Amino acid sequence: MKRTASRLAYTVIVLFVSSIAVFYAIRLSGGDATAAALPGSATEEFREEFRDRLGLNEPIYQQYFTYMGRILSGDPGNSLTNNKALTDMLTEHGRNSLILGGTAFGLVFLVGIPLGILASLRRNSWADQGIMSLSTVAMAVPNFWLALLAVWLFASTLGWLPSAGCCGTKQLILPAVVLAFEGIALTVRMTRSAMIESQNSDYVRTLRAGGLSEWRITCKHVLRNALIPIISLAGLRIGQIVGYALIVETIFGWPGLGQVLVNAVLRRDYPVAQFFSLVLVALVVLGNWLADTGYTIANPRLRKST
Amino acid sequence: MNAIAVGSRPGEVPSGHDRSPLLEIEDLRISIASDASSFEVVKGVALTVCENEIVCLVGESGCGKSMTALSVMGLLPRGIAEVTGGRIAFEGQSLLSLQKRELRRLRADSISMIFQDPITSLDPVFTIGSVLEEVIRSHRDVSRTEAREIAVRALMEAELPDAADRLDSYPHQLSGGMRQRVMIALAIALDPKLLIADEPTTALDVTVQAQILENLRERQREREMGMLLITHDLAVVASVADRVAVMYAGEIVEEAPVDELFSDPQHPYTQGLIRALPDISVSKGSLYSIPGRVPPPQVPPPGCLFAPRCEHALDLCWEASPELSRDGAKSLRCINAQPFEIG
Repeated sequence: MKRTASRLAYTVIVLFVSSIAVFYAIRLSGGDATAAALPGSATEEFREEFRDRLGLNEPIYQQYFTYMGRILSGDPGNSLTNNKALTDMLTEHGRNSLILGGTAFGLVFLVGIPLGILASLRRNSWADQGIMSLSTVAMAVPNFWLALLAVWLFASTLGWLPSAGCCGTKQLILPAVVLAFEGIALTVRMTRSAMIESQNSDYVRTLRAGGLSEWRITCKHVLRNALIPIISLAGLRIGQIVGYALIVETIFGWPGLGQVLVNAVLRRDYPVAQFFSLVLVALVVLGNWLADTGYTIANPRLRKST
Repeated sequence: MNAIAVGSRPGEVPSGHDRSPLLEIEDLRISIASDASSFEVVKGVALTVCENEIVCLVGESGCGKSMTALSVMGLLPRGIAEVTGGRIAFEGQSLLSLQKRELRRLRADSISMIFQDPITSLDPVFTIGSVLEEVIRSHRDVSRTEAREIAVRALMEAELPDAADRLDSYPHQLSGGMRQRVMIALAIALDPKLLIADEPTTALDVTVQAQILENLRERQREREMGMLLITHDLAVVASVADRVAVMYAGEIVEEAPVDELFSDPQHPYTQGLIRALPDISVSKGSLYSIPGRVPPPQVPPPGCLFAPRCEHALDLCWEASPELSRDGAKSLRCINAQPFEIG
């Protein structure tokens, strides 16, 4: 209980500090909001009036408090470029991102854990060595390059899959795999080493001495113990996927939160950039919080003592 | 005089070999293989444990006593240590030639083992009840309720306080001594004929040590189990053993009934161990220790392995390794045994 409360306080502090950071970073990044919102022929007078109306001439801290007030009241405002309500944009693009990110998140574990288990059970076999070499490569390859490579191979050359678009299954495959790639590699390595550590532990020796079958020990006890670090770091994968989504969504033209944010920054669309940055920060913080909770669920030692 | 007294027990059991042997180890050899080399850590160990008898295997760390114990259970760390020769038989049946499945059936059911470190020896993510239940049900065709009843009975016999309420405890909720009691319950739940205890009290508080040891001896007596107790603690040996085998650098150097071993030790190493026991009646003065150190197993000396540390070593001792000579219930690996004098 105390633990949960202190985590919650921590989460709130992180969100507060990052909201300030995001707000200032975007103000300080230069550029002119009116460039996006007004036609090139607009007079300087008109531009000045526009800035005034948006409150851009107020001191920054005052702008910040006004802005946070609006967010907390549930109305973060509208886009400067197309005047859409930010809440509507969040629903629409958030759904797309959830499809892509959720698929990638699932892939990370559904592919990573079995491969890691396989590698640990067939230690030093060709399968193990193959899986481990591949995962090393997968962690080293930057995902924007991987994305381009995937488009070139599967879309341009082989023509099996579309290179971009939304939001069917076919369009989903390439970005989801690219987004999950590094996470899969990390999960494979983590699963393998956690499995091996657990297999060599004293408690497994006790269970062997108890006459349990190797299969049973592996599936129940070794795996359950090995899952502790994997589950506890699962939340961190959310953060990773959120970060990579900016790049992958842009390359594959997937209209999610990442793409919206990148476009907003390029167009100096302050409200959108600010708001969606904050959303992404909140997602990462949520992931970390889940990591903590997940760790407690997986590890009885951290549960409330009875 | 030494502070250790050999405990006399009610219904004094006749020593050794007139009862039927449970475990027979002959010429056991175990090698440890590293990347570059492999070397023998157990060099032709012979040992017999009979029904209703406690045999202590004594020796310092690294002498191969734990390896010997693990090899009986088929639990040597895979890819590191390996039995390279000899015979291990349980009730006349060779254990080394058994199929994995057959060996597994014997474990916990006929031969059980308790380990040194109770803190790491229990699966941290399962309750002790569920692990006990799992082990019991993997050997007996009983319902979960029945398995839990057997588990509670075993925990009570191991003298775990509030046994029935502890089934749903996780290992981290128990103290080291309580965890070792759980390990004992796990080992005796299925009424094995042979119990191997590898330094069962070493990791525990001194006060708990005596209780655990007493409990083990009671369970052994009432079930007439054979027990192989591995220890480096001569005080433990004196209080529970029927027979003692002393191991040095992978070899058994002396074996004798416990009272004879303490009253009339033959091998200079055994004599050194007994002399090294601190004497509480003498409050000052430096403690005795055997000079020199154990030869590295990678490059054993020629001849007797103890010769470099032995004050009575003859030229011959440096040339040929002495054989283990048997004399009734006693055996000895020394060609120049001297009568024991307390220093």
